[in-house]
Formats: sequence, C-alpha cells, structure tokens
Amino acid sequence: MNSIAGVLSRVPLFRLYRRFGWPQMLPLNLTLSPSPKCNSRCLTCNIWMKRENELTLDEWDKVLASLGRAPYWFTISGGEPLMYPHVVELAQLAYEHCRPGVINIPTNAILPIIPDRVERIAKACPESQLIINLSLDGVGAKHDVIRGVPGNFKKLEQRLGQLLSLRKQLPNLTVGIHSVISVFSVGHLDELIAYADQSGADQFITEIAEPRVELDTIGLPITPSADAYSKAIDRLIVYVESKQFKGVSKITEALRIEYYKLVKRILEEQDQVIDCYAGWVSAQIYANGTVWPCCVRADDLGNLRDHHYDFKEIWFGDKIKEVRRSIAAKECHCPLANASYTNMLHDIPTLARVSAKVLRPSHGPSPERSEVLRHEI
Amino acid sequence: MTFAWLDKFQHDLEKDENYAAKTLAAYRLGMKAKGSIIGVAIKPAPNCCDAARNLPIDKVYHPDEAPQLPLPNCPQGRRCGCVYRPVMAYQQADKR
Repeated sequence: MNSIAGVLSRVPLFRLYRRFGWPQMLPLNLTLSPSPKCNSRCLTCNIWMKRENELTLDEWDKVLASLGRAPYWFTISGGEPLMYPHVVELAQLAYEHCRPGVINIPTNAILPIIPDRVERIAKACPESQLIINLSLDGVGAKHDVIRGVPGNFKKLEQRLGQLLSLRKQLPNLTVGIHSVISVFSVGHLDELIAYADQSGADQFITEIAEPRVELDTIGLPITPSADAYSKAIDRLIVYVESKQFKGVSKITEALRIEYYKLVKRILEEQDQVIDCYAGWVSAQIYANGTVWPCCVRADDLGNLRDHHYDFKEIWFGDKIKEVRRSIAAKECHCPLANASYTNMLHDIPTLARVSAKVLRPSHGPSPERSEVLRHEI
Repeated sequence: MTFAWLDKFQHDLEKDENYAAKTLAAYRLGMKAKGSIIGVAIKPAPNCCDAARNLPIDKVYHPDEAPQLPLPNCPQGRRCGCVYRPVMAYQQADKR
C-alpha cells in the first residue's frame, strides 16, 4: 500500500528529477478525467459542452497497468465524475493496479445514484481513503444560480445527508465540501464557511476560480481581484486557525492555510512563487487519452492511444522535455490547487512552516474567542 | 490582466486539424443546452493576417455563422494564433 511516508521519501528524488532529469520517476499525483460530460451549467466552467472520443474501460485498464504502484493520489475528475457510467469500475482498476493511498472525487451532488456509486467505490477500494467533495458555491438560491441548475442546493443537502450516513459504515470514506471562490462567490464566502461549519462534513476546502485551457475559460472574468480574494480568504484563515485539529487533520489544515497564502502571493506577484512540479510529480489524463502536465496549460504531451497505452512512453519521451523546460523557466504560473499542494510538499520552506505548526503544542484561541470568531463569520 | 501569460499561451498553441469544427460544435451544444454561453467571439493574434485584422471587433457570432479558423489563406496554417472565445451572458450584462 502506498503510504504518506513513501510519498515523503520520494520528495528528494523528485527534486533531483526536476533539476537534473534523473532519476526518472512516474508521477505520484494523477488526475483522471474519463468524460467531460456534466449536468451542471456553472458560470465558471465550459467543459460540459465538450464531447470526446473517450477511452474505454479496456483502454483505461492498460493505461493504469502501465503506471504500476507509482501514484499515491488519484483524482477522478470530469465533467461530473459520478455521472460517468463506469466510474466504479475505473476506480476499481486504479485500485487494483496502483493501490493509491487516496482516491479523491469531486461531485456536483445532483444525481440520486451518487450515494450508491460512492458506496460501491469505497467497498471496492477498502485500503484507499476515498474523499468525496461536494461542490458548494452559495447557500440556497445563490448556489443554484452559480451552478446553473435550479434545485441544486436542495439536492446537495440530500446527498450530503446520505453520504454522512454512509460514512458511519465506511471507515475509508471522507466527506468534504469544496467551494470555488470566483467573482460570483467571493462576496459570500462567510456564508459558505458558516454552512460548512454546521454541516457535519469532515473538511471544507476552497479553490480560486482561474482560467484553464481544459475548461475553455481563458479570457473570462471569473477570477476575483487579488484584493477581494485576500480579504475573503483572510477570514477563512482566521476561521481555520480558530479551530483545533489533531493528528492528520492538523497537517492537512496547516497545508491548507499555506495554500491560501500561496494563492494570495501568486495573484499579487503574478509569478510561480514556488517551483511547480506539474509534469514531474503531477499529471492529468484527459478523456480522449491525451496526457497533460496540468489542466491549466493542457499541453498535448501525446495520446496514450498512439503510445501502446504505456504512460511511460509519453512521460519519459521527448515531447515532454520542452514543456518541462517552459514550466521550470516559470513561463507559467497559476493557483491550481491540485498541483499547488504537490508543489508545497516539495518546497522546503513550506514544509518547515507546516512542520513547525504541527509540532507546536496546540493552544488555539480560547473557547470564548473561537465562539466570537464563529459568530463574526 | 490576471494570468496574462495564459492568454498568450493559448494564442501560441498549434491548432488541431478540427479546431474550428470541434470548438464551434461545443458552443452550439452549450447554447442549445441553455448554458450561460450566448455566442462566440474571435480574438485575433497580435501577428494575424489582414483578413483576421479586418474582422469586426468584438462581434458576437452564432456558432453556425462564425468564420472558420484558421481563416482561408491564412499564411500560418495550424500555427495561426487567432482563437475562438466563448461569450457569456454575464459578460454582456457587465457591458450594459
């Protein structure tokens, strides 16, 4: 089984790989996008309009077999991943071939079949942590407007209740709430925090809306200004710091605060800020078999159908070299959460700050102060 | 402009053979399925050909009527840097 200790032991090797091209390593963080189809109509995303000649399960089988036990973290993305008819089988294939530590699936929480599929995945992948993050962009009608689906919020509440019930019998299931902070939602982040706080969900995570080639959102005014984001996210940081976490949660929350601060800096400085490891440690496989270093640039590194479904042929091939040069030369920068968390694991100052925070005895604010902060939010 | 590099990056990407057909089909579906998209605009590359330069600025096309990119006789072929951009209802509302 892939462990977090195994991940950390690979950090120095990936740092060498990025700098010197050796030792050659397969990515530990992989996003699979089996289909762009989605039943949401979000203001911040246009992927649902796309149609692709999607990889079949047999094709995914070969691709995942070629990865061996390298990936620790899989994200099954979309579109709406839990609408993809073979999502259970896809997760099972990833589990059988790669034994990842984590399988992470975002969902719009619309379809009634979602709890059944989640249960089947959790049972089929018993030694992986399955994280299901429900997308929440507003409370009540605001959510429905941003997501473009009337009644979505009510369905989200139903699914959340169902998944929280499931969690009691599935020890490997984590249920979270995920919010995209866009120009449409930045003004009501406090409401989202308050909702998540009382929801019973295991975690509340946010990601800034950003233009991506994958989503066909380049040029669209969806990203909040650095100032608006900073003011909103500072409130979230205060909220997170007002809570007391133990064990693994203490590490993940410390990393989250680092991520929020990193995003602020990226927006202000318009720079990579810390080295990006997309193309070395993280990658994405799109529905049609194309391998990308990340979904923001979505450089076509090659199609697995043209490479015998062998991921290594593309990852260790020639075409990726120019893309790696470009990323290392900081010709791009973005706050993509998936890549950023991986990048932070490979950034020594970030790791030092997180370690210091985790090792520090947790005093936190007094219960009275926590209550005041919660009231403020 | 936030993430200005990405705008340039997209202009510099080599186009798929079926770029126009695939992109316009997506936008057509988006309008039919009642997304927020209301049409498509063309953003010419800084070094575009005369024909692209002469396209009406900020015109919003229905996907059925948008010119095919690369434009006929574009000397850059699939290296043409002109791109389609979806036009969303909220962008038009902002302009009013």
